[in-house]
Amino acid sequence: MLFSFIDKMKAKANRSKLKEKEYEFLFEEDLSGEYIVFDTETTGLNPKRDDIVSIGAVKIKDNKILTSQTFEVFIKNSCEMSSRSIEIHRIRPIDLQNAKTTENAIREFLDFIGSRPLVGYYLEFDVSMINKYIKPMLGITLPNKKIEVSEIYFDQTISLIPQGNIDLRFDTILKNCGVPDMGAHNAVNDAIMTAMIFLKLKAKDTKKF
Amino acid sequence: MSILDQRKLIESIHPFGLLSRETLDNLMQKIDIAYYPKDTLLISKNLPSIAFYIIIKGSVSESKDDEIHNVYSHGDTFDADALIYGKCEGKFVVDEDLICYEIKKDDFLELMQNKKVQNYFLQDFVTRHQQLKNYDMQSDFSGFLMARVSDMFLHKACVVEKDESIFSALSKQEKLKAHVIIVKDENEYSIVTDTDLRKHVLLGGADVKDEIATIATKGLISIDYADFLFNALLIMTQNEIKRVVVMKNKEVFGVLEQLDLLSYFANHSHLVAVQIDKALNIDDLKILQADMKNIIITLRAKGVKVRYITKLISTLNIKVYKKVFDMCVDAELQKDCALIVMGSEGREEQTLKSDQDNALIIRNGTDVKLYEEPMMKLNSYLLELGFPKCPGNIMVSNEFWRRNESGYKELIAGWTQSMSEADVQNLSIFLDAKCVAGDEKLLSSLITHLHHHFHQRADVLAHIAKAVLNFETPLSMFSGFVLEKEQQNRLDIKKGGLFALVHGVRTLCLEYEITQTNTIERIKELNNKGIIDKIFATELIESFDTLSAIRLKAALEAKSLDESNYINPQSLEKIQRDLLKDSFKIINKFKKFMSFHFHLNMVS
Repeated sequence: MLFSFIDKMKAKANRSKLKEKEYEFLFEEDLSGEYIVFDTETTGLNPKRDDIVSIGAVKIKDNKILTSQTFEVFIKNSCEMSSRSIEIHRIRPIDLQNAKTTENAIREFLDFIGSRPLVGYYLEFDVSMINKYIKPMLGITLPNKKIEVSEIYFDQTISLIPQGNIDLRFDTILKNCGVPDMGAHNAVNDAIMTAMIFLKLKAKDTKKF
Repeated sequence: MSILDQRKLIESIHPFGLLSRETLDNLMQKIDIAYYPKDTLLISKNLPSIAFYIIIKGSVSESKDDEIHNVYSHGDTFDADALIYGKCEGKFVVDEDLICYEIKKDDFLELMQNKKVQNYFLQDFVTRHQQLKNYDMQSDFSGFLMARVSDMFLHKACVVEKDESIFSALSKQEKLKAHVIIVKDENEYSIVTDTDLRKHVLLGGADVKDEIATIATKGLISIDYADFLFNALLIMTQNEIKRVVVMKNKEVFGVLEQLDLLSYFANHSHLVAVQIDKALNIDDLKILQADMKNIIITLRAKGVKVRYITKLISTLNIKVYKKVFDMCVDAELQKDCALIVMGSEGREEQTLKSDQDNALIIRNGTDVKLYEEPMMKLNSYLLELGFPKCPGNIMVSNEFWRRNESGYKELIAGWTQSMSEADVQNLSIFLDAKCVAGDEKLLSSLITHLHHHFHQRADVLAHIAKAVLNFETPLSMFSGFVLEKEQQNRLDIKKGGLFALVHGVRTLCLEYEITQTNTIERIKELNNKGIIDKIFATELIESFDTLSAIRLKAALEAKSLDESNYINPQSLEKIQRDLLKDSFKIINKFKKFMSFHFHLNMVS
């Protein structure tokens, strides 16, 4: 009770800070029944210092990943990319030639997600990366409901092995859920794989969703 | 980048690979990924199909009347028919958690506007099968042996009327630089070769003013203009001739010379045949055995249909048998007996050497004992040449398979009464018998006797036919899960498919008194007699060819004889796997046909 009350208060406070009226839709109740799975690729792991390089997102409706409506942007960046992140994401500076400015990319992203619940792996990090940009732009943080797949996975697995150590690495979850590895790790592929994991976990836990 | 990965997967699936760049780009924007847990019912009679599915992971089984019809796994697609015709007889159920791409019905039907895609999905089994096969060939070989007689350089034929004089015919031949003279006699042709000239004119004293017809040899061996070159090679090898006359619309069109043909093939099957004939002792023959295996390997690599390879190899093997027979049996004894080969050799479907199944029929009134020693020798020679020993001891060295005509008739009488497994097996083997040396009539009269004995014996026939159902068609074995439990992830292609087809066809031929022994010939004959229709016959032949081809591949790669029937479907190319699946479907259809035909559900 108390927590939900505090959450509501926070949401209200967040909404009151919104600078641009056209983004009211972010706070409206979601009626689409869809989820957004998203992933960001960044120059590093510190939200304060590092920047977003690309965002990938897909919608989920019922048991389907709507890859027909895939969202993918690359962002121009002032920050130097570390060679390590080039290795992981395989995004070279040259790939960013057609990229958008951060502001445009973020606005497109918000239009895409609307008020749908957000799903992700280690979502907190991706959300705080987005927040880093929208806070100065719009005065708010992402108000959407957030669902962490590693948390669902943890809950479902801990009931099988109480007090066990649960490996929450992405590859492990992928393997245990029987989701095929799509190969290259980029924002959209990671989002699609996360979406598959979510669908599998969701199917086991029909009451919750 | 990511869209590219998915594109690649879609592109790798036939017929999507045929699509243009734009169409594929367009398509990619319409594809969703869906997840279905185990046991989800996707399509059934009452649940119309809403999308076209391409499997990323997991498997789906299709069943008809509670019988598994097909299993789809990674890279497979289903079900175009359900979308196109808007109805579905079967039931598609998720076997193992399914992740798949979905192309919505409307988008799929739009895609069907593309001619290439349409062609692929609208074809019936046979055409699709052949298209896939051609596609497979393309990727592997040149169309080398798809060559036809018409593609070859043909020599001008020297055709003369029958009443022309030898002299004028010869001058005509000289002018045309032809090797032979063909003599026309109304609708019949005969031939004059250099040998005829030597025999009749130079040695026989015929006058050059005589009519040419008097020295011509009847029975012209010819081949159709549109026939495969490979058949020309077969004809030359079988008849030991150096040239064959090419006919077009029943008219003489030209002459195909062996030299041209051989240089075209650049392999030496004919030379092997000649060498077999020239062999003086067993050691000469032994040297040739390695060549035989090389022929198989080269021909296969050149893309020759397996049925032609097996035919050629059988022809060569029969030559070996004949030669060995000549070496072991005195000319005096030869005319009163017939050496027969049975089983796969008799059907001319053997490639690599399989067990020797042979027997000897001796004319009534001749002492059977006389043949004991020569047959022992023959058997030991064959063993020496690498024809493996028959584990069932069906060999001429065994007294049981060396008897006179009445002896065999007794056997046949026993077979019509008995229901024991051993008898059915012996009968089956004997039904494939082919005479390789000695007096052919001894065998043919026995086969007629055999056919007579099975008149009106539907009960025994049904009992024999029942063996068709002995082994399950291994269709369900494709799904990853089942395979792991099975032995080393492999399936037995002989038990699972070939046996049912070969045995079923054999039994039908016993019923309808068809004397052919080769399975494909038998199927054609069954079609001629109207027992099966043309489409089904073609389906059966194509399936048989596919199964034999895959088996041959396995046999060439296998380390031992026992291994040669096992294949691992996962190790096959996707297209081959599809062909194999399609073939097994046809085998299932055939099994149903057999059950119905012989009322097998009533036989226990």
